[in-house]
Amino acid sequence: MERAHKKRDIFVEGAIPVSFISESIAKHATRTDIGAHEIFLGQVRADVIEGKTVDAIEYTAYRDMANDQMTAIREDAFARWPAMTCLHVHHSQGLIKAGELCFMVFASAPHRQQAREAVAFVTDEVKKRLPIFGKEIFSDHTHIWKANT
Amino acid sequence: MRVLLFGMIAEKAGMAEVEVTAVSTHALKRELQQRIPGLDRMSYALAVDRRIVHEDVLLTGREEVALLPPFAGG
Repeated sequence: MERAHKKRDIFVEGAIPVSFISESIAKHATRTDIGAHEIFLGQVRADVIEGKTVDAIEYTAYRDMANDQMTAIREDAFARWPAMTCLHVHHSQGLIKAGELCFMVFASAPHRQQAREAVAFVTDEVKKRLPIFGKEIFSDHTHIWKANT
Repeated sequence: MRVLLFGMIAEKAGMAEVEVTAVSTHALKRELQQRIPGLDRMSYALAVDRRIVHEDVLLTGREEVALLPPFAGG
């Protein structure tokens, strides 16, 4: 829960367990200056592309650069919303099945507006700036490479 | 120098890194387009020491260079 902008590793192997979300919330119970938590969760969607259904996404990343970019985004976010108490970001690596969680942005602040705006900003910046690559694997074991638009 | 490859570029090349000798990023791109089938038709960014560069940058051979296909995080 510290605000120091030290370098962290945002990557977790496999899906983000649903229990991790409640544990993350529970860890903030002692911070009674917090009045609002805002959470974005990314879930793998079973897109249908040319008649084929996506079963899973296999994520890989240029991990060092992604963590560098995340440090810069974090610094931007704290500069824009200085009242924000803390910010936690996690992204999956490896094979994530449709319906599982692959991305979490969790901001806490005294009031809802800072937390809400910071989560929207950080979510968009992560999608734009982090070198993370996604192979969408269909039920027939063929695949295509996903690209954020 | 060692060039890191990711996503569909690593798949096309059949490897996650490649050894290249080049004096600049433009020269490096030309060299890799000869060696990786279809790279000239792919959309990708080039990072030098973990920063994306668009202009032609001189290389000493000690940099960490990476080819980055479109991002898909989130």
